[in-house]
Amino acid sequence: MSSVRPGAPAPPPPPDGQPEIALSPGFVARMTGQMRAGGWIAPLLTVVVAFFMGGLVVAATGHNPLSTYKAIFDGSGLQWLFPWTSGPDRDTAAINLQQTLLTTGPLILLGLAVGYAFRAGLFNIGGQGQYIVGSIAAVWAGSSWAGMPGWIHVILAMVLATAAGATWAGISGALRAITGANEVITTIMLNWIAIWLGVYLFGLGGPLQNNAQPDVPISNDIVHSARLPVFWGDADLQGLHIGIFVALAAAVVYWVLLNRSTKGYEARAVGFNPEAARYSGIRVGRTYVLVMATCGALAGLAGSLDVLGWQFHIATNDIQGTQLAFLGIAVALLGRNTALGTCLAALMFGALVNGTSVRNLDPAVFEPELAQNLTTVIQGLVVLFVSADVLILLIYNKLRPRRRARGGGAAGPAGDTIEVVA
Amino acid sequence: MSTAAITRNLRAPDGGPSSGLTRERALGWGGIALGILAFLMTLPPFEVRSIGPSVVLAVLAAGLGVAAIVGGERRLGGGAIAAAIVGVLGAYGATRSGTSHLEVVVSWGALTAAMLRYATPLTFAALGGLVSERAGVVNIALEGMMLMGAFFAAWGADKTGTWVGGILIGVLAGMALALVHAIFAVSLRSDQIVVGTGLNFVALGVTGYMYVNSYGAQGTPDNLPSVPEVNLPTDSLGFIGQAISQLNLLVWGSLLAVVLVWLLVFRTRTGLRLRSVGENPRAAETVGIGVYRTRYAAVVASGGLAALGGAFLSIGFVHSFSQNMTAGRGFIALAALIAGRWRPGGVLAATLLFGFSSALAQRLPEFSPSLATLFQALPYVLTLIAVAGVVGRSTPPAADGVPYQREGN
Amino acid sequence: MSPQNAGAAELALELRGITKRFGALTANDAVDLQLRRGEIHALLGENGAGKSTLMSVVYGMARPDEGEILIDGEPVTIDSPREAMDRGVGMVFQHFMLIPVMTVAENLVLGAEPRKHGLLDLAGARRRTRELSDRYGLKVDPDARVSDVSVGQQQRVEILRALDRGAKILVLDEPTAVLTAQETAELAEVLRALRDAGTSIVFITHKLHEVLDVADRVTVLRRGKTIGTVDTAGADDASLARMMVGRDVVLRVEKEPGKPGQPLLELDDVHATDDRGLPAVDGVSLHVRAGEIVAVAGIDGNGQSELIDLISGLRPCTGGHVRLGGKDITNCTPRAARDAGIGHIAEDRHRRGLVLDFNLSENLALMDYREGTRFGLLKPRRMLDAASRLLHEFDVRGGSPVTPARSLSGGNQQKVVIAREISGNPDALIAAQPTRGLDVGAIEFVHRRLLAERDAGRAILLFSLELDEVRALADRIVVIYDGRIVGELPPTASDEELGLLMTGSGAGRVASS
Repeated sequence: MSSVRPGAPAPPPPPDGQPEIALSPGFVARMTGQMRAGGWIAPLLTVVVAFFMGGLVVAATGHNPLSTYKAIFDGSGLQWLFPWTSGPDRDTAAINLQQTLLTTGPLILLGLAVGYAFRAGLFNIGGQGQYIVGSIAAVWAGSSWAGMPGWIHVILAMVLATAAGATWAGISGALRAITGANEVITTIMLNWIAIWLGVYLFGLGGPLQNNAQPDVPISNDIVHSARLPVFWGDADLQGLHIGIFVALAAAVVYWVLLNRSTKGYEARAVGFNPEAARYSGIRVGRTYVLVMATCGALAGLAGSLDVLGWQFHIATNDIQGTQLAFLGIAVALLGRNTALGTCLAALMFGALVNGTSVRNLDPAVFEPELAQNLTTVIQGLVVLFVSADVLILLIYNKLRPRRRARGGGAAGPAGDTIEVVA
Repeated sequence: MSTAAITRNLRAPDGGPSSGLTRERALGWGGIALGILAFLMTLPPFEVRSIGPSVVLAVLAAGLGVAAIVGGERRLGGGAIAAAIVGVLGAYGATRSGTSHLEVVVSWGALTAAMLRYATPLTFAALGGLVSERAGVVNIALEGMMLMGAFFAAWGADKTGTWVGGILIGVLAGMALALVHAIFAVSLRSDQIVVGTGLNFVALGVTGYMYVNSYGAQGTPDNLPSVPEVNLPTDSLGFIGQAISQLNLLVWGSLLAVVLVWLLVFRTRTGLRLRSVGENPRAAETVGIGVYRTRYAAVVASGGLAALGGAFLSIGFVHSFSQNMTAGRGFIALAALIAGRWRPGGVLAATLLFGFSSALAQRLPEFSPSLATLFQALPYVLTLIAVAGVVGRSTPPAADGVPYQREGN
Repeated sequence: MSPQNAGAAELALELRGITKRFGALTANDAVDLQLRRGEIHALLGENGAGKSTLMSVVYGMARPDEGEILIDGEPVTIDSPREAMDRGVGMVFQHFMLIPVMTVAENLVLGAEPRKHGLLDLAGARRRTRELSDRYGLKVDPDARVSDVSVGQQQRVEILRALDRGAKILVLDEPTAVLTAQETAELAEVLRALRDAGTSIVFITHKLHEVLDVADRVTVLRRGKTIGTVDTAGADDASLARMMVGRDVVLRVEKEPGKPGQPLLELDDVHATDDRGLPAVDGVSLHVRAGEIVAVAGIDGNGQSELIDLISGLRPCTGGHVRLGGKDITNCTPRAARDAGIGHIAEDRHRRGLVLDFNLSENLALMDYREGTRFGLLKPRRMLDAASRLLHEFDVRGGSPVTPARSLSGGNQQKVVIAREISGNPDALIAAQPTRGLDVGAIEFVHRRLLAERDAGRAILLFSLELDEVRALADRIVVIYDGRIVGELPPTASDEELGLLMTGSGAGRVASS
């Protein structure tokens, strides 16, 4: 164990803008260390525990957890993947799955936006604000310049959204680097500032309010040339657009960036040990700015996918209701900040979000409004239990010998248990 | 520290972080005061209608700021220059706008009362954060604890028919969430920030779920029992008198809480032990203080205080509950805690400042309805500036956020 | 009292067969210890011999896996410091257990605070502090903040606190590690006075002469086992050293005199401040020639860390110049300093020298990961190959290039740091506490390597708190005191000569340098 000895004399105030409150020193290491040791089991167990406890909430309010979860699963469209789903069921499932994947794309990006920060020892809770400024930039670019060639227009809108998100998050990175302001607080404040900025821009009398209906607080529509092409399903019924491939490509880029690039190497060094990084010549403050800007770029891109892919306009109450970005935290933590893990976690939460949506969940079984809050609860529990790896691994290690014993064998050797690297 | 360090200390008596009011610091503060005055003189009741005097004052303020910076006091000097700029801009705006607008917006009595109301939930939550962080546990879940307090106070008031019942149930709910925080942060030694974030989601989901389940589309009933107002016959005593003539009981409660928390933390045995656990838990353990027990108690108390803030929001201020109604106030409270340097008096000053910005934001639409929404962002911008500007000078408890593990078994 | 009990009753504390394991490591292996009433009993052993663990067990901070503790002849279990205090055991830790931001009086009463009307009675606390201070002749200022008083004073606060809780058995863990010679002598006086007043004292140390100076009897631990207990009256340095390390000690690495060339690293009247902005390096001038080891000796906290930071670009130089091979590198960035040819074996390999969660190849590449990269992409193949080569060359055991640095032993971790710094082919190498916490074999490796690098023509600036190490390696020794170089001595200088300078007593008699 090499956890920080609390009894040791207090270290001198750290340089390079270390804030008062930051992720605990071993956390970043633990997230990756555990990945090495625990493999997929710990995250899976986390999900099981979270769903189980969510089920307790459902049961406590007089509903049947099993039928609720079944209905949510049906609403997610995941049964399309089963070969025995056929006929009209399969058609419905296909539509539902398109919806799920529609959410999965941005969720991958939002998860990566949190994960990359985590690897550098930063906690980016500002995905929401970065997503919002990204979608503002995209809706502005996408609804202007009608007549521009389609693919240029789409790419331009996405680039602008990316830049907007990068700038927004870069503020937090710069504040951390220069003044040591804690990024948890600054990113959350920037979320609210982005919300009110958006409400102002698209609100009544706002500069980006639509031209046609002066009494509706909504933006102009994205022109057809700037919309992302749909490749699965009906373009008029929110079919699946190519944004999912953009997100998957971003996941590949993320992997390369993190594991194979000098910038990613610097980010990881800073995340594990900022003092050693500084000592070896890495500019820690600049790394914070770059990492946050990269995260913001990913979140801003996520905003543009939704705007250019299926929303096509933004109303002020959309902005206030945007909670998707917060799911990025759960996605990143559950996916252990790895590219593949993030994609899978994004699929799970995408399914959960759509399975509980008004459109997909059968209200006869469970009210969607309730179910959406259930999603939030499960999301919180996932974050909670991922943080408590000690607990999850304790459960795992407790279960393991018992299972063996039931199988007739002796308790597993000590080497079989997962150790927390702390 | 070695003897060498001591001699260095003796040689540089002003070098310590807690140095007194040097000439440079006086210059800086003077500049800040002049900058504020430049703005104040254009507002009611003075209402100087010409920009000239303000410009003179602002130039003076900036001059003092530059002098302070040259003398080495960069932060206060910068503050003075910023105050000069803000002062002259404010004065420009005030002299340009009609006096009738001005008098509606800047009605000091009403503005002060509103400031106190907006500050109250923040004060409770920030004091909660203070108790928890003084014991060494970072409480990012203040937001969630407030939300629990807000919903369950409304729900409890509805079910029991009295506001007292509402507050009790609200506070218990906040403490329950805090207990979970303590279990994860103290016993399981999880990362306190991540735990807090998770709990904020849990609180958001649970309160939303319960709200939809109990009240659905109708919302909380209109006849929700609410915390009474305290009427004082002070209307004739200037704007302060007007401000305090009718305030909610919990507004007074929050001011009392500032005093009580100060007493508890700095003047009692419990407080000394609490602080020792937050500064050096191992040292506390070696003199027989239960680190885990102290931290549990502190975090649970913190949840109770934050929930009081939430309860005030729902049944003392807005008289209803809506989903996610705390709207980031828990985080503003955290910022106030940092800006107030983990001391009750400083925390109160910071929450009053944030409260004032909210009060002002509510009144500025008088000038421009379209820009009005943008003013809603004012408290958040101010928080951003505060955490960016104040940190570095404030030192948290040494073991804040560090999980404690007993040696051996 | 019957005669049969006399032997047992004479013992204030007895440990029988104490065993304590941490995972696979056995810190204490059936350790026995007998502390008589009113004696000073030294517990002697090398770093890692299990001394501190044993005392944690006595103080209830760690629970023994096996064995028995007897106090005044009665078997007891001690599960918490509170119980230890109740049984009359007091402890002064190596890292003081004080709250720096609180006053001396607050620290002294912490855990047993006086109260008045339900509130904390600070006046009472001050009174109690003064009373204790007078009674035991240990002068402290009740109102001073602990962070503002000297280490010696802090230690007094700890001793007074233990006595305040009624300690009859006082355990001091490495009490002299942070003290000046003067303070050490004062402490010895205090301990003798306490002993004469009837307190039984356990004195943990790894310094032989202290044992002979202060203690009545000594128990030697080696690798967690009791080697034996002897009276200091009949013991000498050599016999104790043999017990401690298990063989006759030859600590000196054979060294040829250096053949210094041109000055490579030159410091010209450099200044720097510490983290609180107070002057810490106050006009240091020195030079290191090619093929020469210059050691900076001094008591911890006299500006050494700041000087290291200043040279390597980690701390602003507020005055003066740093030159390397004639080139001015004052105030350049850490990276520029490295590029200019400064290598740096960090003081603290866990905090600064290594990224423990990086694997060895990533750690070895920390300085040159950008070499030969294109499009900002790393060259993992090149990194792995280089790592394999270095691990072989520097005889790093227990890991391959993809092993996390965390899983290596301290000695091998240090070899990784040294391998990285030397592979950068620096002109000047700063070696800060290069052998701290290493076992004898690893120390020998590091010493040989540093001498080899000297002979290869590098300029080596050694910072060490161990005088033996300083003398073993240095061609010249400069002594730093209060941020200034107060003298230069040859490696043949005696402890006394060095000690005088290091405590500032020799200041004014500055040798020309």
